[in-house]
Amino acid sequence: MKKNAFLFFGLLALLFTSAACVTVRPQERAVLADPVMQFEGDPIIANQLHHAIDNREGSFGGSGVAGGGCGCN
Amino acid sequence: MQLKLSHLASAFLIAASLSTSANAQVVQVDTAHGIYYEAPLRSHMFVYSPSVTLTANPTDSVSIYGGWEADIVSGASVSTKAGPAYAATHPSLTPDVISAATNLTDFRNVGKGGFTIKHDNTSFGGGGLYSSENDYHSISFNVMARTELFEHNTQLQLDYAHNFDDVCDTVQNPNALPVARVALPSSKGCFTDDKTKTTRDISIDSLQGSWSQAWTPVFQTQAIYTLSVIHGFQSDPYRSVLIGEGVKAQEYTPLDRMRQAVALRANWYLRGFKGAMRLGLRGYRDSWNIYSGEVNLEIEKYFGPSFRAAINGRFYKQSGAIFWSDDYSGGNAPLGPKGQYFTGDRELSPFWSVMAGVKLTWAFVAGDKKVLGFMNNFRFVAAANLIDFNYENFTLAGTPVNGTFAYLLNLGLSAGF
Repeated sequence: MKKNAFLFFGLLALLFTSAACVTVRPQERAVLADPVMQFEGDPIIANQLHHAIDNREGSFGGSGVAGGGCGCN
Repeated sequence: MQLKLSHLASAFLIAASLSTSANAQVVQVDTAHGIYYEAPLRSHMFVYSPSVTLTANPTDSVSIYGGWEADIVSGASVSTKAGPAYAATHPSLTPDVISAATNLTDFRNVGKGGFTIKHDNTSFGGGGLYSSENDYHSISFNVMARTELFEHNTQLQLDYAHNFDDVCDTVQNPNALPVARVALPSSKGCFTDDKTKTTRDISIDSLQGSWSQAWTPVFQTQAIYTLSVIHGFQSDPYRSVLIGEGVKAQEYTPLDRMRQAVALRANWYLRGFKGAMRLGLRGYRDSWNIYSGEVNLEIEKYFGPSFRAAINGRFYKQSGAIFWSDDYSGGNAPLGPKGQYFTGDRELSPFWSVMAGVKLTWAFVAGDKKVLGFMNNFRFVAAANLIDFNYENFTLAGTPVNGTFAYLLNLGLSAGF
C-alpha cells in the first residue's frame, strides 16, 4: 500500500514538474481561450445537467462542491 | 424573499455604478431553464428548473454574483419497496406496491451569492446559498483559491464547501429499533410547530482540488480530486421497506458516508475540423462500497463565426451499496438481508446508463459595434439529452425496471452589458 502511494505521488510530482517545461506562449493561447476549449463551457447549463444526474446516481464529484438540496424526492 | 431580491438588485446597481471604465463590461445576466422527465413504470417524474444569475464587475479585480434557481417537481414515488421473494408469496402485492406510488409535488428554491477577488495570478472567492423545499432545508458556504503558474499554462484550484442541512421526519419513538420506525406520510407540517414532525441534521464537508494544464497551443488537460464527508440522516424519510413477513419499516442507512472521485479531462482542438474533442473520465468510490466509472465524449464544431453544434455521449456504470438488496425478506443472492441496514433506493443499486445528446450554441461578441446596439456579448444555448437507465437487480415487487428513459432539455441565455 505504502509502495503504491509513493509510486502514485512520485508520478504525480514528475508530471507536475514536467509542466514547468511546457511553454505555450501568450500569443499562442488564442485557441486555448476559445469557448469550445473550456472545461465548463456553459457552466449554468452544465450545472443543471450535473444536478439532475447526480441526484439519480450513487456517485458524485469532479464538477464542483457547492450545492444544497435535491429537488428530486 | 422580495426583500432579499431588492437588496440584491441594489447591490448590483451600486456595483455597476462603481465601475471605473465606461467601456468595460459591468453586468452579465445568465438565465437557464431545464426540464427533466422520466417514466419508470408510473412515476412520470417531471422537474422544471429555472435559474437566473447576475454577475457584476465593479472593478477589474472584483466580481460579485447573485442568483436564484428552483426545481419544480411533480410525479410519483414508490412509498413501499418490496422484492420478488416477498411478492412470490404475496401474489396480490405486486399491483399494490406499484400503484402505491404516492403523488408528490415539491418546490425547491435556492438563493445564492458570492464574490471573487483577483490579484495578479491569484484569485480568492467565497459564497453561500440557502435552499428550501417542503421537506429539506440547506445552508451552505464555500470558499475558493486559485493560482496560475508557468506563464498561465498551469492553474491550480482548491474549493471547500460546508452544508448545514435539515431533513423533515416523523417523530419516532426514541426507544424504537430501526425495524419499528415508520415512514413520513407527507411533508405537510414539516418545518412548522407540528408536534408529529421533527428535523434530522445532515452536515456535509466537501473538498476539491483541480489542476488544469495547457500542454500545447491546442491541447489541455484537467485533473480533479473530490472528497466529501457526510454525517446525518441520509435515508428517504417517505419510503418503507418490506423486511419480513408483515413487517415494513422506514429506510435505514448508515449515518456516515465518505465519497471520493477522481476525474480526468482532456480538450483537443482540431484545426482542420474547426472544432474540439473533449474527453472525460471519472472514477468514484465511497465507504458504502459503491464503485463507479464514467466515460464522456463530446465533439463540438463551428459552422460559421457565431454558430456551433456539439454531440455528446456518456457511459456510466456503478456497483451497489454493500447493504443494498432487492428483497430484505429473503431469497437467494443478490436477494436477502445484508446486515443491519435496508434501503429501497434504486440509486444505491447496481446499474448502468447511457446518455447521448446534442447542443447548439449561438454566440455573438461585440466588435466595433455592440450586439444589437447595447450588448457586449450575447449567447443562446439549447441542449437535449436522452438517458437510458438499466437497473441490473432493482425491481418493484419483482417487476424489472429496465429501459427507463429520462429526457433532458436545457435552454440558456446570456448577455453582457
